Amino acid sequence: MNSVSRSRRRRLSAAAVLGAIALTATACGGGGGSGEGDTVVIGYTGPLSGGGAAYGENVKIGLEMAIDDLNADGVEVDGNPVTLELKSLDDKYAPSTAASNAQRLADQDKAPVVVSPNAGAIKAIQQINSGRSNFLISAYTSDPAIVQADNPLTMMIPPNFESYAEEFSETAMEHGGKKLALLGTQSEYGQQWTKSIKDAWSEAGGKIGGDNSVDYATVSDFAGPVSKALSEKPDAIFVGGPSQPTALIMEEARKQGFKGSFLVMDQAKLDEMATVTKLDNLKNSVGVLPVSEYEDPGTEDFLKKFAEKAGEKKVPTSETALNYQGIAIIAKAMEAAGTTDDPEKIREAISEALPEVDDKYKVNGFPDEITEQGHLLNPNLEATFLNEDGKYTKVPIEQVSDDK
Amino acid sequence: MTLFIQQLFNGLALGGVYCLAAIGLTLVFGVLRIPNLAHGALYMLGAYITYFFLTTVGVPYIAAIGIAAIMLFIVGVGLERLVFHPLRNSPHTHHMIAAVGAMFFFQALAQAIWGADFRRMDTPITGELRILGAEISAQRIVIIVTAVIVLALLALFIKRSIHGQTIEAIEQDRVGASLVGINPSMVSMLTLGLSALLATIAAGLVAPINLLSPTMGDALNLKVFAIIILGGLGSLPGAIVGGFALAIAETMTATYISSAVGEAVAFIVLVAVLAIKPNGLFTKAVQR
Amino acid sequence: MNPMKNPRIIGTIAVIILLGLTPLAFAQENYAMRVITVGMCAAIAVYGLNIILGFTGQLNLAQGGFFGIGAYGVGLLTTDYDWSFWAAFVVSVIGTAVIGYLCGLIALRTKDEYFAIFTMAIGFIIFLVISRWEPVTHAHSGVNNVKFPEGGGLIDFESPVAMFYLVFAILLICVYTTYAIRRSSVGRTLLTIRTSEDLADAIGVRVGFSKQLAFAASAVFGGVGGGLYATVVGFIGPDAASIDKTFEFLMFILVGGMGTVAGPLLGSMIVTFLFELFQDFQAYRFIVLGPIIVALVIFAPRGIVGYLGGFVDRRNRRRRAEEARGADDDLDSTGASTSGGTGDHRARNVADGIESGAGRTGGTPSSEETK
Repeated sequence: MNSVSRSRRRRLSAAAVLGAIALTATACGGGGGSGEGDTVVIGYTGPLSGGGAAYGENVKIGLEMAIDDLNADGVEVDGNPVTLELKSLDDKYAPSTAASNAQRLADQDKAPVVVSPNAGAIKAIQQINSGRSNFLISAYTSDPAIVQADNPLTMMIPPNFESYAEEFSETAMEHGGKKLALLGTQSEYGQQWTKSIKDAWSEAGGKIGGDNSVDYATVSDFAGPVSKALSEKPDAIFVGGPSQPTALIMEEARKQGFKGSFLVMDQAKLDEMATVTKLDNLKNSVGVLPVSEYEDPGTEDFLKKFAEKAGEKKVPTSETALNYQGIAIIAKAMEAAGTTDDPEKIREAISEALPEVDDKYKVNGFPDEITEQGHLLNPNLEATFLNEDGKYTKVPIEQVSDDK
Repeated sequence: MTLFIQQLFNGLALGGVYCLAAIGLTLVFGVLRIPNLAHGALYMLGAYITYFFLTTVGVPYIAAIGIAAIMLFIVGVGLERLVFHPLRNSPHTHHMIAAVGAMFFFQALAQAIWGADFRRMDTPITGELRILGAEISAQRIVIIVTAVIVLALLALFIKRSIHGQTIEAIEQDRVGASLVGINPSMVSMLTLGLSALLATIAAGLVAPINLLSPTMGDALNLKVFAIIILGGLGSLPGAIVGGFALAIAETMTATYISSAVGEAVAFIVLVAVLAIKPNGLFTKAVQR
Repeated sequence: MNPMKNPRIIGTIAVIILLGLTPLAFAQENYAMRVITVGMCAAIAVYGLNIILGFTGQLNLAQGGFFGIGAYGVGLLTTDYDWSFWAAFVVSVIGTAVIGYLCGLIALRTKDEYFAIFTMAIGFIIFLVISRWEPVTHAHSGVNNVKFPEGGGLIDFESPVAMFYLVFAILLICVYTTYAIRRSSVGRTLLTIRTSEDLADAIGVRVGFSKQLAFAASAVFGGVGGGLYATVVGFIGPDAASIDKTFEFLMFILVGGMGTVAGPLLGSMIVTFLFELFQDFQAYRFIVLGPIIVALVIFAPRGIVGYLGGFVDRRNRRRRAEEARGADDDLDSTGASTSGGTGDHRARNVADGIESGAGRTGGTPSSEETK
């Protein structure tokens, strides 16, 4: 008898659980979506959980800061005040989830713009953003493949990563020597960087050892891969992935006695790396210029606001700063186009809007033109060389064409 | 030759990492036959709690690991009570998915508390040793030594202590063990708690050579399952041999063949071994 | 019993009809159509898992890998080699079958936990090959612009509704195949193996061969699901073959109900829906979703279909009990504890005991539906 009542209790609790789920479900369903009056949703799909979460969060902070500032300044489209609202969804770095999210943001929230910060996701979203649904992709990736796709509704924010390879190679060769070891991460982006550096290095007359790329996310101990790379006695090492593991690799290489120079992929930021390892380990490296080293009109204020929002300890990166700029450009383009719901017109108005953007939003190498294919170009792109004294010296970069 | 010796030591250190991470799982999967996919998440949680006590509260390194280990013991017991106990008569599939649910929960929780950013844990054990021209850090030597000691102690615990023997008794015959007065629930709680505790010790020692992040356990999860299956379920010597063998194979193939093969080699070895010996290297009598 | 009177069959048909009608409501909602269509692709792979896990009782953790092979077969053949979708689809499915059969040859030498981890290793190796073999698979850059199926001028598969019905039609074939297998001698053979391999062997079942077939069949379903998935989403990356996919599939089948006909479909739809629903919580959704998954596994161990099936069984039993009571009025509720019941009554008590015991023991199948 006892067992019967027990199983009945179990059934009841099961029903209760299912009921609770159904309730939450309806509650959530009712909550989202409806916007008031002139609210325009800016969509964002990025990795907010899983291995890429830190990256996705950095992008999100930039979007939030931009939207807060723009709303405070007031955005006016076609004579009506407009409030911008950010709606973020998590895609865990999976392209197909990102595309579903983007579709949802466009359908349910009527977002005219969706921000996505990784090349795979952007390629998947490009399958659906012009045709049955129309929305502009604010693309944060330096992979030129996304503009080569000739998608009419894509705005690529960062510089083409291929621009760096030549200057990086020359600088590293100058400070190190002719022999390069490859120790980048095994991600979509890392693989492309490795290839680009390989080409530039051989072109500059250097020698290249074997490809020792490892997946930074799954390696438990970097000592092995580093020993392997060092066994070829390189003068320079190409490294790069997320900042913190990259810093660990460089530290390990220095520990094992490496004296040469590093070429640091743009995903890793030297100032962010300095939070997990001593600056000494990072010296003699060529990489992208830290946000705090920019001298744009809005940089200083931006750094202050960032510290307020994210805390003093957190280092502002270009993910945050460039997306901050990006949303400001889009808002201005909406004003110039006089519409918030026609992505084609917004895209067309970008080049007209660029000179109009307020100085406070110019923080990290502001672009002065947008190419036919939708790439924002910053006229004076600079990288940096972290010298023996721990000082960042600027290295001007000549930009390559996005065409294949 | 220097490279070979260097990589041998690197492989040994990696083997220590794998063994330490595998120990807790060997108990739970090897002995109780619960495939606890949340083991990596427990490892991660252990690392964060150690980090919390070390950095935020400011207690000494060893004490931080100790406090975290005790807290994780409680978490392990809680996990057994709330998740695995209600499923004790279900097939593995249920355990696996429930464990995946628990893993999602722990990862999201860690991200909510500590954020998604990578963090670095400092260790007071510094310095390097130079052996035959190869360089190896003191922390890695501690890892290797601890792995072997902890595994040996665990074997002793299971063979010699009353509590340990109850675990083995339950493993061999659940019904028979309950007839002689062993409480299977108590043993399951003890085992899960112990495994979480061991995962924390592992995490406290290994975290300083890598980074903390909510997904830090994922990288280990699959490999650790491969290791204990390779050694033979429930076999502690198997876990040691499996851990070191796979780690050295991984380091050596990455060095002399390619890093891509190095990444896959653990699984290729597993597939090859099981194709020849379907019950692993050190099989105990098959028990159903 | 007349199959048309069986509530389970009626339920399954109702679910299918309901699903088939969704485009009427959502034809203009690209998002809903996309999520449902992608969910159906996953459901097809889950039907594969159902054959090897649900019927045969072997925990195959390589299903995500086979899904990936199907997806990459279609993806690469239609883009780099410019094949038509249909040719690529057929070749990919055959390819998956061959690879699945070969994997099965070795994998099925192992048993239980060893089999599960062995297949997990196979799945992981497939993932590594896809994510590292750059010259062929483009590794992490993925495969872009996978072709739509050719409609031969009759159907335009670029329309989400057409695509929906294509996947739906193939899904129906899978559901019917599952139903047919369950009713056939093959199905009973597999269920015997699930119950006890030794027993099956003793009564003359060709255990090895049957498991081999079930494994290959499950891989084929995985390949079909993956191939369709590639054309539905248009862009695929290595995550299509990841181990996470396998666990997703497992979650679907477990929530729906293992070894049932409607379970994989219901589970795929419900879990996909839950995941989309909780998107509003972003990174924190797993604080809620994690415990929900655990609760579902604990409180509905036989899945939603098994749970509903339990109601049907109890109702049937009650009806039978009432009929019996009408015939024999002396026996009231105390009869259970007295020893004076008729043989018929005692038998019913035994059956009730088994049923309530099964409720406790969770996954142990007990009703005629699962046994």
